[in-house]
Amino acid sequence: MINNLIPNPDTIQVSWIYFQMLLLLTTPIHFLFMNAMFGSAGIATYLHFKGGEKEKKLAHHIAVFLPLVIAFAVNFGVAPLLFAQVLYGQFLYTSSVLMAVFWISIIAILIVGYYLAYYYDFSFEKLGNAGKWVILIAFLLFIVIAYFFTNNMLLMTLPEKFSDWFNNMGGTILASSDKVFLPKYLHDLFGAMAIGGLYVALISQLKRDKDPELAEYGKELGLKVFFWFTIINILFGLWQLLVIPSNIRTGFLGGNGIHSVIFVLALLFIILALVFAWKKNLKMTATFGILTVFFMSFVRDIVRRGYLSPYFKPSDLKVVNEYSPFIFFLIVFVIGFFVAYWMIKKAIEAFN
Amino acid sequence: MNYPVWFLPAIGGGTLIAFIAIVHVFVSHFAVGGGAYLIALEKKAYKEESEEMLSITKRFAKFFILLTMVFGSITGVGIWFITALVNPGGISFLIHNFVFGWAAEWVFFVLEIIAAFVYYYTFGKMDRKTHLKIGWIYFISAWMSLFLITGIIDFMLTPGKWLQHHSFWLGFFNPSFFPSVFFRTFMSFLMAGVFGLFVLSFYKNSEAKEKFVKYSSLWVIISIVLMVPFALWYVSVLPVEAKSLVMGKSPEIVRTTKVIITSSIIAFVLGLIVYLKPSLNKAYIAAIIFLAGFFIIGSFEWTREAARRPYVINKVMYSNMIFEKDLPKLQKEGFLKNAKWVSVRNITEENKRLAGKEIFIHQCYACHTIGGFNNDIKEKAKSMSYTALTKYIEKIHKVRYFMPPFAGNEEEAKALAAFIAGDLLGKEIKEVEKAKLDGKTIFEDNCSSCHEPEEFEDLISGWDKAKIRKALDMLEKLNPEMPPYNGTPQEKDTLTEYLFKLSGGVK
Repeated sequence: MINNLIPNPDTIQVSWIYFQMLLLLTTPIHFLFMNAMFGSAGIATYLHFKGGEKEKKLAHHIAVFLPLVIAFAVNFGVAPLLFAQVLYGQFLYTSSVLMAVFWISIIAILIVGYYLAYYYDFSFEKLGNAGKWVILIAFLLFIVIAYFFTNNMLLMTLPEKFSDWFNNMGGTILASSDKVFLPKYLHDLFGAMAIGGLYVALISQLKRDKDPELAEYGKELGLKVFFWFTIINILFGLWQLLVIPSNIRTGFLGGNGIHSVIFVLALLFIILALVFAWKKNLKMTATFGILTVFFMSFVRDIVRRGYLSPYFKPSDLKVVNEYSPFIFFLIVFVIGFFVAYWMIKKAIEAFN
Repeated sequence: MNYPVWFLPAIGGGTLIAFIAIVHVFVSHFAVGGGAYLIALEKKAYKEESEEMLSITKRFAKFFILLTMVFGSITGVGIWFITALVNPGGISFLIHNFVFGWAAEWVFFVLEIIAAFVYYYTFGKMDRKTHLKIGWIYFISAWMSLFLITGIIDFMLTPGKWLQHHSFWLGFFNPSFFPSVFFRTFMSFLMAGVFGLFVLSFYKNSEAKEKFVKYSSLWVIISIVLMVPFALWYVSVLPVEAKSLVMGKSPEIVRTTKVIITSSIIAFVLGLIVYLKPSLNKAYIAAIIFLAGFFIIGSFEWTREAARRPYVINKVMYSNMIFEKDLPKLQKEGFLKNAKWVSVRNITEENKRLAGKEIFIHQCYACHTIGGFNNDIKEKAKSMSYTALTKYIEKIHKVRYFMPPFAGNEEEAKALAAFIAGDLLGKEIKEVEKAKLDGKTIFEDNCSSCHEPEEFEDLISGWDKAKIRKALDMLEKLNPEMPPYNGTPQEKDTLTEYLFKLSGGVK
């Protein structure tokens, strides 16, 4: 029955390995921006509710950057979603249709959240104390978006749930009743808060010359958020590890060499990041924190492949060789990289 | 048949796509043309050394960022989401064939965002030359997005030589690519002018504003003039079937093209008036021009989509996600045996209507709602009996080219007819024995899909029986839209009697 529901995939033009590499490269970048957006909105909400001079100043500093990180979170979400559709389209389109009402509502929710972020930024002074409600609503909307995303990413790996469609074709099926959902959702949210803390600590450093007190406060608070949310998140991670299918779990615990190495490296990086956060060494915390995001996203990819392994491997995709469009993309990518670099350089010069 | 369907019987997927797509194209074309427009305003302000002009330009840049970065980019993602929900088969095919086109477009999207932010946040802080360069990078990136997406969108309309060679580049540089790129480029300049006039109408009167109004109206007037030859070129490269739909075969499309022409004339005339007398750019005048722009772009996109019918990707995939190449197999072996996402594999008397419903969901729902305002199947089929529907379904594509052929066998056509006539319209489901055919039944079986009985009072008023009988032998000559009637001579005689009665039955 399940195989009767999984759609036949379309052909690809270059080996699946290239798509896999592009997916693995772009996903953690999206996560970094998304975490910065989510976590910093959460921290700004906390600061604004707490009140106080330096709290307001830091919240304002976060507000200025918030619309920018939202733009890049969305933008850098496009690439991994594109490559995920190439590799796993038959699962991802299906799960999206099954939860269509929620999936499409993300667009409306995001537009509202995004405009609230601009409102919070452009009218920060004017809003005064009322600003705390604006940022709170934006933050709550981000939590809802995360809820739908986690649902879809889990549902796409559960083809055994696909037959629910016969009883509900209206697009309101979710995967939140699955035992993995709650630890996964909490793990995603707490991870995002932790990295958001790191991000707040980093952007506070831009104020080091003009407002050293604010820079110090941002660093301290950001690292504290990073540290404690990560500690709790390790528990959620463990919980998730215990409830995922046993074949995937054993793979991480010695059953599969590469999987175990990646998992151990991810754990090692997070321990190092925690140690440096405790020592208030922002540079090293950031380095290992970012490395953790990269390796945890690789772990996530292994989990997805493990779920789907009874039905499909990306290497099953039929290739009809046509490499020239790929080369065209690479050329555009390289040129784009240098143009982006030049623009950012000029922008920094203009501000200094 | 390969993917599940998001089934909202009263709304329909097409409505959802249209809702997001039309607002997105309106803003996204503005996002392209507006880039060039901003550079032009800024240069004009520098040339005239006008601080006021520069301040208007900066204000406009803020509006531009707020509209294009948030609404424009998120609704762009929204189109991707909604098309994948409504037509996952079509999107999957396009993504897999043009993934690197989209990936390159993503790079330009990154550049667009960086450039837009740098442009806005460094306004007045950066040296003029570099600031204008950033503006140019924005415009070029945005235009490259238009260039890349146009290749993929127009592939859907005119796949051209891709059909033989399946090459990315042949599909991308398809026959309608160049006229479309030019047409869209000027349309984007038109949108810039339209938005410009609209926003300026709310600004305080000043000399600088007047100059900008005059300048913006030029963008409207000139763009409309330049769009015309490319629109004609665009139509000229359409495949025969699409061209005939646009040129008159589809009354809906003809109506929509009239909207485009009328709106263009309104925008042109008002643009000209505002150019001659900038103080007339009041909010209500600007709003009319703005709406005209919205109708031009919305109707154009609608026409392009409609001209593709019955396909979502011309000659490749029908609107209901069935590949053209799979059709013979499905008609021979049956749809239910080959489809995924169906529960009935073998039709029995008990499950016939359920099978029909499943076929409806997979083959008809792509365009038909049940009781909704868009192509309501109950409305369309209300005059047809079960047997009429069965016959009609089997020849549906021949009678109405813009509908996909029925992808199933005779038994499945009957199941579908039973669902529509029985479950939806509450009619009796009874097989009619051939020997018992009377005029009314023959009429229902063969004519009722396009004609109401009442029409014949006027349609053949004054005709005698011999004339009616003769006409039944040459229907396709009376009107090329009508398929020939292949009944036996006896059936034709019976139908003649019936039609004669409908016409009033005298003379």
